[in-house]
Amino acid sequence: MTHNDQQYPTPRVDQINSAFVEAWAEGVLRLQVCGACGQETFYPRPLCPHCWSSDLGWTEHDGKATLVSYSLVMRPNHPAFFEETPIILAEIALRDGPTMLARVICDDPTQIRSGLLLELLPAEEGKKYPLPTFRPVL
Amino acid sequence: MTQSRDIGVIGYGCTDYVKKADRPLLTFLAQAGRDAIASAGLEKSDIDGLALCSFELPPDNAVTVAEQFGLSLSWAYLGTAGGAGPIASVLNAIRAIEAGQATSVLCIAGDAYDVSGLFRLLDNFGRALTSYGSPHGFGGANGLFGIIQRKHMETYGTTREQLGRISVDQRKNAQKNEAALLRGPMTLDDYMNARVIADPIRLYDCVLPCAGAEAVVVSSLDRVPRGKGVRVLSGYEHHNHPPGEISPLRGGWELFRDALYRDAGYGPEDFDLVQAYDDYPIMVAIQLEDLGFCEKGGVGRFLEKNSFTWDGTLPLNTGGGQLSVGQSGAGGGMIGLVEAVRQLRHEAGERQVSNAQRGLVSGYGMVGYGHGLSTSSIVLERS
Ligand SMILES: [Zn+2]
Repeated sequence: MTHNDQQYPTPRVDQINSAFVEAWAEGVLRLQVCGACGQETFYPRPLCPHCWSSDLGWTEHDGKATLVSYSLVMRPNHPAFFEETPIILAEIALRDGPTMLARVICDDPTQIRSGLLLELLPAEEGKKYPLPTFRPVL
Repeated sequence: MTQSRDIGVIGYGCTDYVKKADRPLLTFLAQAGRDAIASAGLEKSDIDGLALCSFELPPDNAVTVAEQFGLSLSWAYLGTAGGAGPIASVLNAIRAIEAGQATSVLCIAGDAYDVSGLFRLLDNFGRALTSYGSPHGFGGANGLFGIIQRKHMETYGTTREQLGRISVDQRKNAQKNEAALLRGPMTLDDYMNARVIADPIRLYDCVLPCAGAEAVVVSSLDRVPRGKGVRVLSGYEHHNHPPGEISPLRGGWELFRDALYRDAGYGPEDFDLVQAYDDYPIMVAIQLEDLGFCEKGGVGRFLEKNSFTWDGTLPLNTGGGQLSVGQSGAGGGMIGLVEAVRQLRHEAGERQVSNAQRGLVSGYGMVGYGHGLSTSSIVLERS
């Protein structure tokens, strides 16, 4: 729920991603890990893109990450975000893990720089966002 | 892939472009197709192959459109590579003709979008963006390509002033094109100071979604008089390169570049015009690098040293491109091809590139989780 009473769009929950979505509701970032080749993947998929195995389990990631690049979105895709611009949309590299697109929350977007260290929002703050969301480690 | 030197593009057509579709998509596709058949000097009954590229077409497809069009076909093709699809459709049409599966193929690309339709498209483009882009407020393609542009700027020192030369010169080209939706004057200052959309992307980095369609006829070159056929010297496509990278600074053109020029017998310095896929200036810049017009990371200086108007040092998107004409969905992947054919037939009017003999056209598209998954290029020569 946001200021203008619009709900954020949410991921389509299915049997492939439900464990991921449920974990983030508790502030936990889960990645798929392949039982055959051991590689971790984001976003959740029905098969491992490296070896095509469907033997996929889950591993927790602590959310420590580096901001690779970003844009400051003034024209978001949905009205729920209109009063929150700029949306900081980033490509982030999880430490020892895959890269992902993620939103970064920062009261002062001028402080955002490529290369910044990031961490997950604390569970209480994070759960209002539909997907794992990060903040700078300041 | 080496192409038969006897097969090429013998006709082209396009619709008018409109900001809001006032009629069904199928009528746009038919209008472009009818123009192309007429430009080739053929009759509808001569067409025995149909290739379609259109995001909004499903649940219809190439075969159901054949029924709507009253065409009897021995070959049908539906593009799946977004803005790279129309060039791929021409390459596939040539192979179909070489294999005897068809004699004359009509290739059409178009959509009937407006701005809100484009956001709906991007929200539902694929499972990945619907579930893992939209919930972040990602701003559609603008947000994704903002990430790529910033990475290029920070990695190689590319500046907005340099990239702006593409938008500004293409606008000058559009001023010679009555079909272009955006024909007002634009200076580099206008470009630099335009409204921020997804920093570093600003308004004049973005295309205007619209309705329209483009078409070509592929057949034996001996069906048209000398100078009216355009030979396809070589062409390639590539998909999902590099796997697993979200915001790559390369698109896949670099993988087939050497083969493309080897097959054609020509390289970057031999082209009289280039039609690059211009969803954003940063992707034009990356294409110029990947296709060998300059070294990787050197495009900023290349942009400063060249001019891109129809009478410039490197005539680029000589009709104004998608940035000034508008982006008719998948039609954006054929607008450059049609403009190249128009130029090589010496039918481009006030924006005609002097004595145009050879051109390079490239495509890009199918935005997945972060970037376009598909690339294509084709080398054309006046017959
Ligand atoms: Zn695996």
